[in-house]
Amino acid sequence: MTRWVMVVDLDRCVGCQTCTAACKQANATPPDVQWRRVLDMETGAYPDVRRTFVPVGCMHCDDPPCMSVCPSTATRKRADGIVTIDYDLCIGCGYCIVACPYQARYRTDRANFAYGGSNPNEAEAKCFDERRLGVATKCTFCVDRIDAGIEQGLTPGVDPEATPACVNSCIAGALHFGDIERAESKVSVLLAKNHHCRMHEELGTGPRIYYLQD
Amino acid sequence: MTAASTAGAKRVPTYCYQCVAGPDLFTVRVQDGVALAVDPDFCASAIHPGAGRICVKAYGLIQKTYNPHRILTPMKRTNPRKGRDQDPGFVPISWDEAFDIIAEKLNAIRAAGLLDDSGYPKVAASFGGGGTPQFYMGTFPAFLAAWGPIDMGFGSGQGVKCYHSEHLYGELWHRAFTVSPDTPSCRYVISLGSNTDASGGVAGVKRHADARARGLRRVQIEPHLSVTGACSAEWVPIRPKTDAAFLYALIHVLLHEQPRTRLDLAFLAERTASPYLVGAHGYYLRDPATRKPLIWDRQRNSAVSYDASGAAPALEGRFSAAAVEIGPDGERLAEGELVGETGFAKLVAHVAPYTPEWAATVCDVPAATIRRIANEFLAQASIGETVEIDGQTLPFRPVAITLGKTVNNGWGGYECCWARTVAVALVGALEVPGGTLGTTVRLNRPMSDRIGSVKPGGDGFMDYPFNPTDPAHWSPRPNIRNAYRTLVPIAANGPWSQALGPTHLAWMFLDGTPDGLPKVTFPELWFLYRTNPAISFWDTAALVDKMARFPFVVAFAYTHDESNHMADILLPECTDLEGLQLIRIGGTKYVEQFWEQEGFALRQPAVEPRGTARDFTDIATELARRTGLIEGYNAAINRGAAGVPLKTERYDFSLAPTIPHRRDEIWDAVCRAASAEVTEGAATDGLDWYKTHGFRTRPFPHSDWYLYPALERHGLRFELPYQERLYRIGQELGRRLHERGMTWWDNQLSEYQALPAWKNFPALWEKAVVQMGSKPEDFPFWLVTARSMQYAWGGNVGIQLIHEVAANIAGHGGVIINAGVAARLDIADGDLVEIRTPRRSTRGRAVLRQGIRPDTLLMIGQFDHWATPFARDLDVPSMNALVPLSLDLTDATGSGADLVRVGLKRLSGPS
Repeated sequence: MTRWVMVVDLDRCVGCQTCTAACKQANATPPDVQWRRVLDMETGAYPDVRRTFVPVGCMHCDDPPCMSVCPSTATRKRADGIVTIDYDLCIGCGYCIVACPYQARYRTDRANFAYGGSNPNEAEAKCFDERRLGVATKCTFCVDRIDAGIEQGLTPGVDPEATPACVNSCIAGALHFGDIERAESKVSVLLAKNHHCRMHEELGTGPRIYYLQD
Repeated sequence: MTAASTAGAKRVPTYCYQCVAGPDLFTVRVQDGVALAVDPDFCASAIHPGAGRICVKAYGLIQKTYNPHRILTPMKRTNPRKGRDQDPGFVPISWDEAFDIIAEKLNAIRAAGLLDDSGYPKVAASFGGGGTPQFYMGTFPAFLAAWGPIDMGFGSGQGVKCYHSEHLYGELWHRAFTVSPDTPSCRYVISLGSNTDASGGVAGVKRHADARARGLRRVQIEPHLSVTGACSAEWVPIRPKTDAAFLYALIHVLLHEQPRTRLDLAFLAERTASPYLVGAHGYYLRDPATRKPLIWDRQRNSAVSYDASGAAPALEGRFSAAAVEIGPDGERLAEGELVGETGFAKLVAHVAPYTPEWAATVCDVPAATIRRIANEFLAQASIGETVEIDGQTLPFRPVAITLGKTVNNGWGGYECCWARTVAVALVGALEVPGGTLGTTVRLNRPMSDRIGSVKPGGDGFMDYPFNPTDPAHWSPRPNIRNAYRTLVPIAANGPWSQALGPTHLAWMFLDGTPDGLPKVTFPELWFLYRTNPAISFWDTAALVDKMARFPFVVAFAYTHDESNHMADILLPECTDLEGLQLIRIGGTKYVEQFWEQEGFALRQPAVEPRGTARDFTDIATELARRTGLIEGYNAAINRGAAGVPLKTERYDFSLAPTIPHRRDEIWDAVCRAASAEVTEGAATDGLDWYKTHGFRTRPFPHSDWYLYPALERHGLRFELPYQERLYRIGQELGRRLHERGMTWWDNQLSEYQALPAWKNFPALWEKAVVQMGSKPEDFPFWLVTARSMQYAWGGNVGIQLIHEVAANIAGHGGVIINAGVAARLDIADGDLVEIRTPRRSTRGRAVLRQGIRPDTLLMIGQFDHWATPFARDLDVPSMNALVPLSLDLTDATGSGADLVRVGLKRLSGPS
């Protein structure tokens, strides 16, 4: 059984937002919608302060709160663990947006582009997907790339064409993707060798983004 | 990457060189002629130190291409009045009309003479910092070369707001225009404000992340907790502009608290000037016959020339020898049996007062912390270890010290650079594997071959192209307005020297030329490209006032901005994804670009130009044609102005000299020459090959990352620790200036010390407040800045995507204030605050953080736009509006620092 997970090495992340930008480009998200972003967090008080950069997005939880509140069954979970939204079923009620403890979901009601509101440039016009208006959206783990890559015999997390755009883009090598059920996968090896944690683990959602930290 | 296309879709390989930390290689996804996305070029992952990836800036290039605010046709100004408050009244014109207007001006200048009555070039040109515009301006350098004298010394930040002291002294001491740890094998880095994880580009981020995973310990010493501090093992908050004191104390610990045997004594004795004997007047004792500096040979128990074979140099002690001491202008200061002390012994005595306890009072860093860091540095230096690279056994000293901007420019920059270089030399960690390395050269030649630039000079040191200070050759008549050749001997006189001189002096002297210099004039025609000095320099309001008085300005313009607001002609050139150019890649370049390959990469049109934008090469060719310079222009290209000589003994792809050539014809010849160079003549593939494959490289020896083997081969020494040559040059320069009655540079002359003493550098900025008629206590904060990876160098402040993602990093939307201080001042997060100097003020939103000293405020990047579309609505402050252009705050290299004393008060609550 395949189970896709993301592993984030916090000791490598420099908060550059390259993954944020790559995600926005790959998924053509409108302004201020960031399926992937990197938080800039401080802990402690001067002069004993730590500053940490934490990439966040949909955690593709084992028990996703967004799915259980969805009245239209638009939010589902695939066998490989990826949480999906069926835009044809979604009624845009926003329950899932409220329910998500990771603030990973968005809803955009009107077409909105980088410059001039409703006027797309040539690139935006080609990438615009009207089905995303008035519905919940979020990180998909670039599921289309994964599925298309697997069809071509590629391995997500190894072959760039089958790997989420944010992972491909990461200049620090902080983001990793792969099948946690395969012991030899990079993510399994990293998790086996390093101390790791998950965000809001106490909520019991079973998030599928793991954070490595020394 | 190999270009591929299917059914209207294609991927186009190209490069990004938006910042000095490039180049990086990437591909553009194009569908039906529209660029949709940029992707890493994983085909380059084996050759590129950043594994074929690109940083966040490159992801803005799609929006940059399709930005609706682009200027897409030539325009001319219709309002003759210039100023921030004036509407330029730009109206579209044809390219033909634009060329007519420019050529008429240029031809009139040419007919009347290229220099004005003061001897300054009538044509000036300013480009963005770091030389990156050269990777986008096609063959324009050939046009400039064909034209003749051009003043490229009106700075827009480069030269004086950069790593200025490091650029100049770094090149002198170890061919280090910029300095880097040997990150892949370094174990311990002391970083004084070097914001590598924001400024080091893709290669820097990856190399440091790999190093951290391997166990590199980096100690970040800086007033605020930067991005790099966040990724470091330790943050040490230090009082601004006291970094030299920290380093002096570090050297004190090495020399006064540890046994001598723990230093790299062999390195000091053989590869530095430590054993050279210094006489009573401060100059080397020299052999009376050969004039070579003397050392004391413990074997012979006598003084011998520094290069005597078989000598066992004494590092410490006072010795008597038959010698001559030569001072400035060749004066014999003493002759006969003279007593000299080794340079090393003088260093030991020099740093005796600089204890960690002393430094603690200056830096506000506990003495125990300074001592611990110094001892960790020493322990990690692994003195005695070796490593084999490319078949050579080399010392392995895995420690480095790096310096950030504001640390290594302005007053104190010399002291920091000297102390850093001396400290690493004491443990033998200079230019050896694991240690502290230079990256590239820009003042020494050839620029493309750092190792090849090592040539024997006098006294056993590398040659250095100082500007002359002797009576016969020093000139009081500068070739350009910033007077670098007259005032800054170490700026040299090469192609980069104009921009590495005191570039703010050109601006300052427009309204008052100091005694002794020819009156500084406004250039009759000024070219602007990829630069916005109205935002990126200091005292921006004053600068705008001066720019408004430039009589004729030609700006290559992407969008309307604060500088081209004063232009007479706007020319839209093909931008990053539209233009074509071949550049050199690989070898060792700025910052952390250490490759194991070298060669060439092509930037090519992924999409057709928007509007009537033209490729820069075609613009340059047409300007050359209309000014009658086509022959000189072609000749410059044939000589190598496009990056590669088109004719050598091995090949000849030279252009016919008398006719204009189209862009692709020119670059096809350049590509063929590049192929021949890389393959040593085996291949001569042209433009089409590069369009398909993107880049071509050959191996670059890893051992060429290090200068040490070249010095060993030539039997040369690093010119450390004693600075006899700089001391002499300073004395001579002072004489020349005083002979002409020029005393206004006297403060700067005080920097020329053989062993620089600590001065109270912070007090200089407090004194500036007093000189403006105010009390220092009313301006109790230091305002500093920090690099923004998202924005730096990119000219991308008008790109929505960049603004959106940068907002995730604290501080991009305002001014960072220590949260405890803010509470005392009743300032809440998001409040509107005023930041003021005695002369200027600005306002912005408070961003409260713990990671900043209570006496320090921080404004990231450079903003405060009022003309650039999109950016003008951001309402983000910039320290550039507040920092004065000041001779008092200008050091001997002609640089200043991004630093100013300010007051702070709350204006209103969150918006």
